[in-house]
Amino acid sequence: MGGPVRHEPDDTDLEEELRRAVARLDGVPPPLFQAAVDSYTWRAVDAELAELVFDSLVDSGRAAAVRGPQQTRLLSFEANGLGIDVEVSGTESTRTLIGQIVPPQPASVEVRQGDEVTALDADELGRFRSGPLGSGPFRLGFSVGTDLARRRVATEWIAI
Amino acid sequence: MHPEEAGRLVSAAAAGDAAAWKELVESFSGLVWSVTRGYRLNAADAADVFQTVWLRLAEHVGRIRSPDQVGTWLATTARHESLRVARASTRIILTDSPDLLDSGLSDEHSPEQALLDSEQTALNIDRATQMWRALGQLSARCQQLLRVLTATPPPSYAEVAAALDMPVGSIGPTRARCLDRLRRQLVGQVSRTS
Repeated sequence: MGGPVRHEPDDTDLEEELRRAVARLDGVPPPLFQAAVDSYTWRAVDAELAELVFDSLVDSGRAAAVRGPQQTRLLSFEANGLGIDVEVSGTESTRTLIGQIVPPQPASVEVRQGDEVTALDADELGRFRSGPLGSGPFRLGFSVGTDLARRRVATEWIAI
Repeated sequence: MHPEEAGRLVSAAAAGDAAAWKELVESFSGLVWSVTRGYRLNAADAADVFQTVWLRLAEHVGRIRSPDQVGTWLATTARHESLRVARASTRIILTDSPDLLDSGLSDEHSPEQALLDSEQTALNIDRATQMWRALGQLSARCQQLLRVLTATPPPSYAEVAAALDMPVGSIGPTRARCLDRLRRQLVGQVSRTS
């Protein structure tokens, strides 16, 4: 067994010294920390969670390639038989969504990014379209069905 | 944080306790941030992933299968979302060579800048900056491991393993090798400038 004798206390000290350096030079930015605390207030109570079941960026099977500025991204969410397909297109500052509820049906739709909520309607065929989105994570909320049988669904948050 | 305590906080947060949630953020935000930076995301992408991870936990806090392993859940989610965003980023990494890569550890540090800086006198460069630069000279694998290991508060090896998709058993030996290289790099910095 060759090599110098290792002194674990030296390793521990060095690791701790590096930890202090990293905390000083690249710690969690305070606004992000606060946003994480605030995330708690945005959880969708009393709504079913529609999980992300397809992301063309990850699941398409193609090798990762350089993205062109106008390339669209396809996302699919699913909650107990209700599906939402979303097409995200546009460049960084002008991303828009085109959505489709499956099975097709009208709905009240909310696009939420942090504190900002935009209300839309999905037509009788379950189609909806958003205006330009800001950067950062977003989620969609839906209210479908009739007054007697209303269903509230919210998608997972995702950053696009 | 002891897993039992973490589990207690998760249960409390699931039941509506905002103070418990804040304590979770305090305990694990360092880990989540370190994972994003360990994956070489720039500040904007790291911010997106960081926010997404915490928004996801807020949603899942009542559904986690193993509440006392929430640190591992966060590390795994940070890993998946970092990889997702890295694919979406227009800055595509084509090589693993540390010479060609932006270190990703800081937007201000390029390998070229690091080279120029090292030729200056080191007398007025503080220890933290020395450590940071030395880290930037290590292999991509060592940079990533050490970046995640040195989160504040220190993560468990299970959390590191989840963040980096490596076996828990390999963390100890790799850590030792990487710290050794870091130590040599620091010694080299001092001797180059004296």
